[in-house]
Amino acid sequence: MSVSPHLTRRGFVLGTIGLSTAAILSGCATKGTETKGDATNGGGTPAAAAITLQSSLSDPLPKKALESIVAAYPGDVTLNTVAIEQFRAQLSTYLTSQNPPDVLTWYAGSVARDYAKNGYLLDISDLWVEKGPAASYSTALKELSTSDDGKQVFMPTNYYWWGVFYLRSSFKKWGVSEPKTWEEFIALCDTLKSKGVNPLSNGVGTTPWMASGWFDILNLRVNGAAFHRELLTGKHSFDSPEVRKVMDYYTQIVPYFDPNMTAYAWQDAVTPLVQGKNAMYLVGAFISQNITEGDPDDLDFFSVPVIDQSIPVAEEAPTDGYFASAKTKNVESTKAFLGYLASAEAQQKFIEAAGSSNLPTSPDVDVSKFSPLVQKGLKTLADADQITQFFNRDSSDALQTTADAALTKFLAKPQEVDSILKEWQAAAQRVFNS
Amino acid sequence: MSQAASLASRGRARAGPDGTRHRRRLNRVPPLIWAFLLVPLVFEVAWVFWPALNSFYISLTKWNGAGDPRYIGLRNFQMLAADPIFIQALVNNVIWVIGFGGASVVIGMCLALALNKPRKGVGLYRSAIYLPMVFSLAVTGLFWRLLYQPDGAVNTFLGAIGLEGIERQWLADPSTALYAVLIAAVWRQCGYIMVLYLAGLKGVDPALEEAAAVDGANAWQRFWQIVMPQLRGVNSVVFAITVIDSLRTFDIVWAMTRGGPYNSTQLLSTYMYQTSFTVVNLGYGSAIAVVIFLFAILFIIGYLARSGKED
Repeated sequence: MSVSPHLTRRGFVLGTIGLSTAAILSGCATKGTETKGDATNGGGTPAAAAITLQSSLSDPLPKKALESIVAAYPGDVTLNTVAIEQFRAQLSTYLTSQNPPDVLTWYAGSVARDYAKNGYLLDISDLWVEKGPAASYSTALKELSTSDDGKQVFMPTNYYWWGVFYLRSSFKKWGVSEPKTWEEFIALCDTLKSKGVNPLSNGVGTTPWMASGWFDILNLRVNGAAFHRELLTGKHSFDSPEVRKVMDYYTQIVPYFDPNMTAYAWQDAVTPLVQGKNAMYLVGAFISQNITEGDPDDLDFFSVPVIDQSIPVAEEAPTDGYFASAKTKNVESTKAFLGYLASAEAQQKFIEAAGSSNLPTSPDVDVSKFSPLVQKGLKTLADADQITQFFNRDSSDALQTTADAALTKFLAKPQEVDSILKEWQAAAQRVFNS
Repeated sequence: MSQAASLASRGRARAGPDGTRHRRRLNRVPPLIWAFLLVPLVFEVAWVFWPALNSFYISLTKWNGAGDPRYIGLRNFQMLAADPIFIQALVNNVIWVIGFGGASVVIGMCLALALNKPRKGVGLYRSAIYLPMVFSLAVTGLFWRLLYQPDGAVNTFLGAIGLEGIERQWLADPSTALYAVLIAAVWRQCGYIMVLYLAGLKGVDPALEEAAAVDGANAWQRFWQIVMPQLRGVNSVVFAITVIDSLRTFDIVWAMTRGGPYNSTQLLSTYMYQTSFTVVNLGYGSAIAVVIFLFAILFIIGYLARSGKED
């Protein structure tokens, strides 16, 4: 039977995809690290040997932006761009391979801290002191980039904020304005709904993590950032009265969502917003990449109104940046390159070219030329008492899958909230136990 | 590898119980043939069997890909038994094997019977029905996702013929999502099954059917009593292909729903992928892979034993 050999193999392959692709990919990923390029010393940058930058920025604009920054660097850097899903899956293989990429793009937060605990990340504390390129960064960023044993292992280069985005022209057409309180927000949703507009856009179909955006911010408003962080690290339970209270507020807004949100990915949900069918969208500032037509200044946002005055205001601001492998063979060149990425010029150039409304981490970046939207984002975060990352970045990708299942189910069946929270807690407990 | 094995076993069968004749036969195999057999075997062992064996070991450990795997015995399997998502995936897989297998075989066979007799334009129909097979599953998934969109072709069509009542978000509604994906997969598979049966029907002796017709058998009796027994060989091929194709289904589900909404379309393969490569819990993912492997091997052994008996 000519089919059976093929199919037997297929059965094996299913079980072993991991190891074989890991081997192949780590082989590709590390190519080029051994060739010693002839070093050109430009602008006093000690660029002694060739290094590799492994990047997960595969969207066209950010990819191009990073390419142009790498090209402008006087040292010898090879840039490998890998699609983000693959990057995520391969990240630990990259770091543990014999010949790892020297610098890698990733997120600050629990994942970086986990890797640091295992000793996979290069200690870059010297870039954070005295005249180091990150010495002037805010203490919040420094804290975020610090491992459990007090060393800096991450170089944050940009971050973005989450907010309720809307189009000014649409708000004007409907004769409505930004709400200042939660009651006003609910009243605004009612008004919009009566005009035949879906008040809230969302896309929880193939991007179910979008449902965590509202959960995070409501938890920050109802219980505060400290509780939120503790909840995400397993110190509180998802079926506690505190979380139940968050879900009460979530339940209030369920009727206002676009009924098509379950079929949309987050990108799809931008279209009805632009078309004026939907009014508001709680999403990261990366939404501006997807609004390519019309007046760029038409896009505006407000933060989710305060619910409990006694809770310090917290906002979500996921931070992106770079870390380096502890096994790099070229520590000096690697640090020099990280220093370059951290510099005000490189950040400014990247943010302008990436078109993503990201905020620079370096206080030396001249933000006066940035769009009013970005300025407003900066102010919102500066006014916030506390900053969180995002559900998966404050917990883990494993816990995120439990949130995805629980919250998308809740959006479909809000009346079953109690049993959903119980299931969620059970699933989360399995993650913490594993 | 299994080609080599079957070749060797065939050789043994011909050599009979006489060991010396067997050895002489082996000596007569030219070195070039050995090279052709051994080189692929080395690759197969290095890239397929060795990693496969490793994944058995990994399934007994806790490992996130970094550092050394930590041996935890059968704990992953114990956790699987209590994991509601795994149970859901298992149930979905059973629905999938039955639905996907049953529907594609029945439809494929009906199409083959309808298009078996040479007629004007029959070739056009055959190629049109086979056409979906040339698209990759991922493309098929994207294409059907568009059809199932809230304002996509399916809902527009239902609205146009006055069935607004059953319009829904096919992929976002947990009660329909799995079946919506199933339809897309069957749409692609039945052309393939049709071609297999068309080939099988070519081997059916028309004289027998005519004789039965003369003896007064009706079409139904002729099909079940005369045609079906002659299709036995094709049936077992179709059975094997269908079972194994349904166990390894991954691409189309991943492209259409990623196992959502809230795990209602999760199959063993998608859950394995999600656990291994999104969550990067390789020990637990390998445990799921081992379960898939055991199912596959169960069916393959059953199939080989059956076809061995028939020979």
